[in-house]
Amino acid sequence: MALRHGGGIGAAACPNGLNYQKQNPQSSSNFLGLRLSSLKVHDHHIPPVAFRRFPLALAIRRSQLGGGNIIGDGDEQKKAHRNGGSNSSSAPTARDQRRVAAEEKRKGDCAKEGDAPTSSSKQQQQQQGPSVSLTLEDVNPVGLGRRSRQIFDEVWRKFSGLGQISRTPTADDRLLDAVLIRGPMCEFTIPGAQDTTVLVVGATSRIGRIVVRKLMLRGYKVKALVRKADPEVLDTLPRSVAIAVGDVGEPSTLKAAVEGCNKIIYCATARSAITGDLNRVDYQGVRNVTKAFQDYNNQLARLRAGKSSKSKLVLAKFKSAESLKGWEVRRGTYFQDVVAAKYDGGMDAKFEYTESGDAVFSGYVFTRGGYVELSKKLALPLGSTLDRYDGLLLSVGGNGRSYVLILEAGPLADTSQSKMYFARMTTKVGFCRVRVPFSSFRPVKPDDPPLDPFLVHTLTIRFEPRRQKPVEGPGGNRQDPRSFKLIMEYIKALPTGQETDFILVSCTGSGIERSRREQVLKAKKAGEDSLRRSGLGYTIIRPGPLQEEPGGQRALIFDQGNRISQGISCADVADICVKALHDSTARNKSFDVCYEYVAEQGKELFELVAHLPDKANNYLTPALSVLEKNT
Amino acid sequence: MASRLGSLPPQLTSPRLLLLHRRRPNLPSFSWRRTLAPAHADRLPTSSSPGNHYMPLQVSCNAQTVVATSMSQGTPVRPTSVLVVGATGTLGRQVVRRALDEGYDVRCLVRPRPAPADFLRDWGATVVNGDLSKPETIPATLVGVHTVIDCATGRPEEPIRTVLCLLDWEGKVALIQCAKAMGIQKYLFYSIHNCDQHPEVPLMEIKRCTEKFLQDSGLNHIIIRLCGFMQGLIGQYAVPILEEKSVWGTDAPTRIAYMDTQDIARLTFIAMRNEKIDKKLLTFAGPRAWTTQEVITLCERLAGQDANVTTVPVSILKFTRQLTRFFQWTNDVADRLAFSEVLSSDTVFSTPMTETYTLLGVDQKDIVTLEKYLQDYYTNILKKLKDIKAQSKQTDIFL
Repeated sequence: MALRHGGGIGAAACPNGLNYQKQNPQSSSNFLGLRLSSLKVHDHHIPPVAFRRFPLALAIRRSQLGGGNIIGDGDEQKKAHRNGGSNSSSAPTARDQRRVAAEEKRKGDCAKEGDAPTSSSKQQQQQQGPSVSLTLEDVNPVGLGRRSRQIFDEVWRKFSGLGQISRTPTADDRLLDAVLIRGPMCEFTIPGAQDTTVLVVGATSRIGRIVVRKLMLRGYKVKALVRKADPEVLDTLPRSVAIAVGDVGEPSTLKAAVEGCNKIIYCATARSAITGDLNRVDYQGVRNVTKAFQDYNNQLARLRAGKSSKSKLVLAKFKSAESLKGWEVRRGTYFQDVVAAKYDGGMDAKFEYTESGDAVFSGYVFTRGGYVELSKKLALPLGSTLDRYDGLLLSVGGNGRSYVLILEAGPLADTSQSKMYFARMTTKVGFCRVRVPFSSFRPVKPDDPPLDPFLVHTLTIRFEPRRQKPVEGPGGNRQDPRSFKLIMEYIKALPTGQETDFILVSCTGSGIERSRREQVLKAKKAGEDSLRRSGLGYTIIRPGPLQEEPGGQRALIFDQGNRISQGISCADVADICVKALHDSTARNKSFDVCYEYVAEQGKELFELVAHLPDKANNYLTPALSVLEKNT
Repeated sequence: MASRLGSLPPQLTSPRLLLLHRRRPNLPSFSWRRTLAPAHADRLPTSSSPGNHYMPLQVSCNAQTVVATSMSQGTPVRPTSVLVVGATGTLGRQVVRRALDEGYDVRCLVRPRPAPADFLRDWGATVVNGDLSKPETIPATLVGVHTVIDCATGRPEEPIRTVLCLLDWEGKVALIQCAKAMGIQKYLFYSIHNCDQHPEVPLMEIKRCTEKFLQDSGLNHIIIRLCGFMQGLIGQYAVPILEEKSVWGTDAPTRIAYMDTQDIARLTFIAMRNEKIDKKLLTFAGPRAWTTQEVITLCERLAGQDANVTTVPVSILKFTRQLTRFFQWTNDVADRLAFSEVLSSDTVFSTPMTETYTLLGVDQKDIVTLEKYLQDYYTNILKKLKDIKAQSKQTDIFL
């Protein structure tokens, strides 16, 4: 029992005490509080006077200890220790051994003592000495009673526990609670949740309220962004949620809110369908929060001197005329038919650094099937390879043409083995940032294996006039789609991440009254776009019309492309949010979600692949893994 | 003391005490009687020995005193609002967690106490103070509630004749009546399996009476009878065996189908949303029924340690109970040991669950078995618990 633990500790400190304890681990004398001090009866080396004094001193010492008669193993040990210690200064070890033997003998005598008063008078006198100390200390009825009661209680508790149905948690169980409720035995616990701080924007919204609870149950650290720290608002949130006061419309207030956060769940929506409100919350709000979060991430990245996993890799930055070195302008045509090309208007392109400080790639292609391209062999900094990156981020301006990005990949030593991969990139009139994930590159020859970013050595931006939408010029006059102008600011590689950083709850637009739908969708769409452009790992959830009912009841449909028709419960949306936090398949995805459409009997048309949400199964990964990324 | 006892259902008091009552002419009228109409009081079967003269407990709900408010007026309550009574208990807290996770707005009725149940608030539940033994505190807590989930039960160490009865019987009666009067849409009550077969055990008898009362009240209700919680085994056997402490067990042949409270909570909510189950009585039992000895053996195997088992024969328990019944002042003790009667009766606390599973649409594979549960416990907790213990041992030295 516990006594044994104490014994182990005492043993190291005092071998004498150990001897005693080992021989009588639970003897009755120990139980009643008779201790070593009472057992020096047969020790003839010490004169009676000295002997009489010794227990008294001991008694004082004990009272100084303030121990009273607490029955604690450690306490017991220390007393034994003290006995041994104070003795050993005047007596050799051999005597201690004898004392133990004497004690054994005395125990045997104990029974006799009562009915054998014929012991020698000297011995009786000697016994009186220690017995005085006993009455002082150990035969204290209060202490004895307390001790015996404790033992009786323990035995009784166990005994009566056998005859009971339910039990009451004891102090020991409370420790268990910490293990069972918050530990790995709980069905909600997610490993690593304790180290993750999630900022919930819109924590008092229908979805946000449930999101906060779900996060708390799973052991996350939760921060909630509220506009005002009103008591009635705070009452709706769990108490251990950190409160950040701020408004998504006010970028300055968000700085403190995002500090220390690892992930953000944005489930705030505008309270009205007024355009100003929508713009403020659904568009600017998302933009401000992403910006604040990126700023915070950048700050962290800078602290780690760009070595953080969050920092982007600069592939090209066009800040001076020198930075244009290495870029090569080429012309080409898809048609080998030279004769036909003779009648075309030709093509031209140049890449130059203008006086205004812009690197401009501009020109025209009037040749049918012709193209111009700008290409460079990438020179990556030592130690960094593109496979640690997710895609390309280009900051470009111009007149809104679409381009083809071509990556050549293959062993550097033998460029003839290089394979070409292409992806289309559309720009906007004016400046914009375009993300082109590596996963969207397709091989030029369909038989080639998919792109391995590790092998990429050349980047090409190609302009071809085919399939260009005519763009309205600033003056309303139509521009010729065959001319182009691309102002390049930088090209960076986006760091990869396993998980999503920012979860945005948007909407599909169904269920909103028709007159306001356009405005709402416009604002939501703008918000989504600003998130996609932000460079954060994102997940955009577009639920169907929300219903206030418990979650986990009906199967869900995950889809892309605005085809859903059903509603969904707030709790299910919240569950998707929480699940998506640690799901690598949810990163950089936008998807619609709603209940499975339950067809009337006999009218089923399709068999649908539905996913029943539950704690036990991870429905999200299989559902999302089939969906397009970077949407 | 006697007047206090007078307000209790006589069935719950032992025959010896009843005799005592009969000798006193001016007994106060039973307070619970006033709220129950004696009109259609059905005599409940008592399986007591012929020497005992029990007064049958008359359970019925009086339609005159309890009138459901018309539900047509006022704002409709949201179906997601639930009130959990007994939310701090072993099962109650799992129910709260489950409810919160499924998106319910959970309100917890807890007794006002110096150390409030902060963990409920941390999870996001709303905590309201109320005491079932003070009926005037109940109505306010029921405002805006759709479903009441009642996981409250008396604690064994509380004096059975006073607190347990006050809480578990009178409190329940007040709560059910209040729920009826306030138009609560569903009342979910947890009972004990086989509670109608052991009227000599006060806790089970109270549960049976409450079931009956609830069924007669006309409330839309679900009664769920439970067998045993796996969580209880952890503290009772798993930890002591791990710590090489002595474990007390009986040689009783009684088998109990232990169930994980998380599973119970999960099934509860599935049942609660299923309208087909309304006004039904379900029994939840674990996948397999275990005797105490089997549980101890399993723990020993999983912990890799031999347990220091003190086996108490059931006959001793029974004898102690008989002995303590003999004196008035030890009657409380006797009541506490009342379960020993059940232990000795060779019953199996289990029930085939196949029908329930199909009714709820649950796969049996999803129900945690005791082996799995304890295995999980030992693999997961072993290290953590040892760490904690090691630390506490360390501090002991310097005390």
